[in-house]
Amino acid sequence: MPSSPPASSFLRLGRRGFAAGAGSLVLGVVLRRHLRADAPGPLADVEGGDASPDLWIALEEDGTARITCHRSEMGQQVWTAMCQLVAEELEVPWEKVVVEQALGDPKYGDQNTDGSRSVRFNFTRLRIAGAAMRQMLEQAAATRWGVGAAQCRGVQGEVVHEGSDRRLPYGELAAAAAALTPPPERRIQLKDPDQWRYVAKPTPSLTIPAIVKGEGTFGIDVRLPEMLYAVVARPPQVLGSVRSFDDTAARRVPGVVRTIQLPAITAPVAFKPLGGVAVVARNTWAAIRGREELEVEWEAGPNASYDSEAYAETLFAQVREAGRVRRERGDTMGALDSAHQRVEAEYYVPHLAHSMMEPPAATARWDGDRVECWACTQNPQAARSTVAQVCGVPEANVTVHVTWLGGGFGRKSKQDFVAEAALLAREMGKPVKVTWTREDELRHGYYHTVSAQRLEGALDESGACTAFLHRTVFPPIASTFQEGANEPGWGDLRLGASDTPFAVPHLRLETGEAEAHVRIGWLRSVANIYHAFAVQSFVAELAHAAGRDPKDYLLELIGPPREIDPRTEGAEYDNYGSSMDTHPIDTGRLRAVTEMVAELADWGRTLPEGHGLGIAAHRSFTSYVATVVEVAMVDDRLTIPAVWSVMDAGTVVNTDHALSQLEGGTLFGLSNALYGEITAKDGAIVQDNFPRWRVMRMNESPPRMEARLVPSGAPPGGVGEPPTPPAAPALANAIFAATGTRVRRLPIFGADRRDRLGGAR
Amino acid sequence: MSRWLPCALLMLAIGCDDCGEDEPEPVADPLPGTAGLRSVADFADIADEEARSVALFEEMGKVLTHPRCVNCHPIGERPLQRAGEPHQPHVVRGEDGHGAPGLPCASCHGESHFRTVPGNPEWHLAPAEMAWEGKSLAAICGQIQDPERNGGKDMEALLEHMESDALVAYGWDPPEHLEPAPGSQALFGQLARQWAATGAHCPPEPTGDVEGPAEASEDEVSPEAGEASAPTEKAE
Amino acid sequence: MSITLTINGEEHEVEAAPDTPLLWVLRDHLGLTGTKYGCGVAQCGACTVHVDGVPRRACVAPVGSVAGKAVVTIEGVSGPEADAVREAWTELAVPQCGYCQSGQIMSAVALLKSRPSPSDDDIDRGMAGNICRCATYVRIRRAIKQAAGEGER
Repeated sequence: MPSSPPASSFLRLGRRGFAAGAGSLVLGVVLRRHLRADAPGPLADVEGGDASPDLWIALEEDGTARITCHRSEMGQQVWTAMCQLVAEELEVPWEKVVVEQALGDPKYGDQNTDGSRSVRFNFTRLRIAGAAMRQMLEQAAATRWGVGAAQCRGVQGEVVHEGSDRRLPYGELAAAAAALTPPPERRIQLKDPDQWRYVAKPTPSLTIPAIVKGEGTFGIDVRLPEMLYAVVARPPQVLGSVRSFDDTAARRVPGVVRTIQLPAITAPVAFKPLGGVAVVARNTWAAIRGREELEVEWEAGPNASYDSEAYAETLFAQVREAGRVRRERGDTMGALDSAHQRVEAEYYVPHLAHSMMEPPAATARWDGDRVECWACTQNPQAARSTVAQVCGVPEANVTVHVTWLGGGFGRKSKQDFVAEAALLAREMGKPVKVTWTREDELRHGYYHTVSAQRLEGALDESGACTAFLHRTVFPPIASTFQEGANEPGWGDLRLGASDTPFAVPHLRLETGEAEAHVRIGWLRSVANIYHAFAVQSFVAELAHAAGRDPKDYLLELIGPPREIDPRTEGAEYDNYGSSMDTHPIDTGRLRAVTEMVAELADWGRTLPEGHGLGIAAHRSFTSYVATVVEVAMVDDRLTIPAVWSVMDAGTVVNTDHALSQLEGGTLFGLSNALYGEITAKDGAIVQDNFPRWRVMRMNESPPRMEARLVPSGAPPGGVGEPPTPPAAPALANAIFAATGTRVRRLPIFGADRRDRLGGAR
Repeated sequence: MSRWLPCALLMLAIGCDDCGEDEPEPVADPLPGTAGLRSVADFADIADEEARSVALFEEMGKVLTHPRCVNCHPIGERPLQRAGEPHQPHVVRGEDGHGAPGLPCASCHGESHFRTVPGNPEWHLAPAEMAWEGKSLAAICGQIQDPERNGGKDMEALLEHMESDALVAYGWDPPEHLEPAPGSQALFGQLARQWAATGAHCPPEPTGDVEGPAEASEDEVSPEAGEASAPTEKAE
Repeated sequence: MSITLTINGEEHEVEAAPDTPLLWVLRDHLGLTGTKYGCGVAQCGACTVHVDGVPRRACVAPVGSVAGKAVVTIEGVSGPEADAVREAWTELAVPQCGYCQSGQIMSAVALLKSRPSPSDDDIDRGMAGNICRCATYVRIRRAIKQAAGEGER
């Protein structure tokens, strides 16, 4: 472990980063990973994960607070959340807050905006930064008035002297404050939560006022002088390549400037561009039309025989074999063998696509051996390193501007599209924007992996579960980064498999091997999607076998309030990057959300004919969500009249935006479960656009949706992803309650457009 | 029945002084059967007029039950598309057949085709009472002659609709990726005229199970229970 | 060829083949990037504009077909319905990422113009053509109702 930092090393004064006027107070915040453990005062709360020296906050002469956001805005309202934290302690009026989006730079620490950690990892340090600035302004006012700083208070953009009610606006104090030394950590006073005016409140969004006017720049909206537009014909199979191509007809399309063959990809695929042939044109439509006229002969490569239908059978065969033990409590196999009743079930979740409404798009412009990129990236530092690697230039020569993201869901953490833009712009000697069409997005994704799982449970005479076996088989995310990686890693398993919190005497997690034939990536809540689907479905199956109410049985399995540590049972577990001390696996909180959602949904009430309720509860990204879905099966038609979701995400920075995530994340999970399926034939993805790839629409969304947050003073947990995992099993459990048909294979409505309710395995 | 009157007039007009013979009814500019649809001449050897009329209608049925025609005569409020799948997105007939407020047909369907999106200046859905999705030919045959369920058309108006309506014409001129209705509108029109001339007889109801309306929306989750379980009354 | 377009009340001359989709003329030729690309096949509604007051998917509207007609985009949509929709959208924090919301707003305004007090069914039917992957449907529904209520006052 690095040693404790010297006092004040986390706050630095500076004038870099903004074109701030001479009278501005600019504070650079050092955000080191190791501040957490031994630091005094409020620093004891600082979450780890990021290691950044410079996060700039400027207070300008007119009182404007210009706050850098180093994370990417993709609808989770991170701009608003980050600014709420600073503005809360700085005490600036909300209308004086202006956001600056940070460039991609390691100095900001971790900028990879996924893992539901922006707030988790910045909650304390951004407030410290705001408080330090406020205290400097208070000190400057105290000096001006010749009074003690303790009598001066920063309130909504002014320092007020409590004795005399004299006031000075921040802007007038900024220059004087800039001459002061930031206070040491032990002197920084954070507000008590009951004094918060922005945090834990429905503070208005900083992006929505622009969105409703069609303003704001997404990646696809970037425009530069002289810019050309490109689309790329990519190999249908991963690791395929161009054998030959004829661009005669393509170049005849008016507006087409040139075609360019991109270098073939080599394994491991990582974030490298897929290769293929680019069509560069004077506008997007000409590029699209040119690509249609392009004739390419492809070399199919090593994945040409991938057929997802056949592969499902391979996975099922694998999951029936004994696997490698990854977590063990007691003697699970022995307990299963001697069970009074043994319950077994197998589940399948197909590949899924991200299909964020803005497909990947990036623009690049070279100046000599330096390149500037604009991209809707969740991970600008990875964009920078990928561009540097692919173009063979030092990272220092690459600048990455982060635009707004029209949805991310994990796809925009992968930087292939940014590197394409850089390669093409260099080749053209002009700025080039690469736009991915919807077809490109669906056919060339980093897909959510495909999985088969087998669960077995032992019930005793009373129906209590005594042993719980979970075997999971899927091509791991590691396969994208390491050729041949075929075994689930701890990073996959911690997501709803190695952390199963059930109070059973015997518990075992096993994994099996599975090879990847497409690029595997992470999708909102990642492996929690299939793990929660299997585990929470199986709980209801056990309840049914035991003749018990599924909600009661779930609570019984969760057991009494206590803390779970999978590491004591042989699992490697990193707790989503948060400390097990501050963010333990707390079964009491999982129980609480389960009980609350049951009450909200009036669980146990008499339902209309053909209706059923299903419940599921899951902890992910250190937050707890329980969901109840009501379905109605009338005249063989499935409808979802209502959904209830309760989330305990600890302290929530923006209550309204967190509820919005809870609503949207739940429906995202239902959409995947109902319709989501990416299939491959001869190694190529079959789905090319809506509605062959289908997502939930307004008329398919539940007319009634109630979302609630659990009031909590616990440290913040994740918000963007935790709502998704319980949705699918709650739906499947509801369908079982309504119809007696158990859905074990998703999606519920398959790509063949037939209702598979009767065809479940 | 008043609806037979125009038919009789029609027969007079085209001349039927030799109806008892095996000669085919005379047709102006008879077209050869083509593209999966036989011509009037191909039915000439059916001696019995009623049988010939029925056979002609069964031939017309290849068009009437083709997705290009059925898709816009859906039994529910939602049209079909392609080979008869529920239309995506979930659009509806609306009050005047031109879609719902906020989502009229013309949101997507222009005056002409645009790549895979069909277009036509008249693009709209047939009214609910003119739906024949999933119905037997016998039922369709009865229905299209019933002014209560054919938009108030007499036989001549019906024949004109079939042989010259601009939106009906779409059936033979869809975008490239869609299969056109068999034959041509002219050929279809001639079959229809000859069917009318031979008495506009209808095929018998098939014995056994009458094919019910297709479960058009089986893959759909809609907000209200039973919302799309549209009336399934069978026309006789 | 040169085509004269009226967009948000202003005349523009653009050089484009008449079969170029209006979407790309708006975005690439005219820099009106508020109208979004989402699918290119009239499935998602992100590119919705109004042509002579009727909602239209710009991705499948050949630019030649709108010459001489009044095109209104998210940047220019105005009037009591648009004001009410924008206000409700902001107040209820409807958008998440916001990418589809130009189209959602254009559809919602069109819906309210022909159905000032839409029912749940009307909202389902009028908004079924606009996909939101963030799945903000719960709030869109609520906001349309709120906007309708304000329209009545």
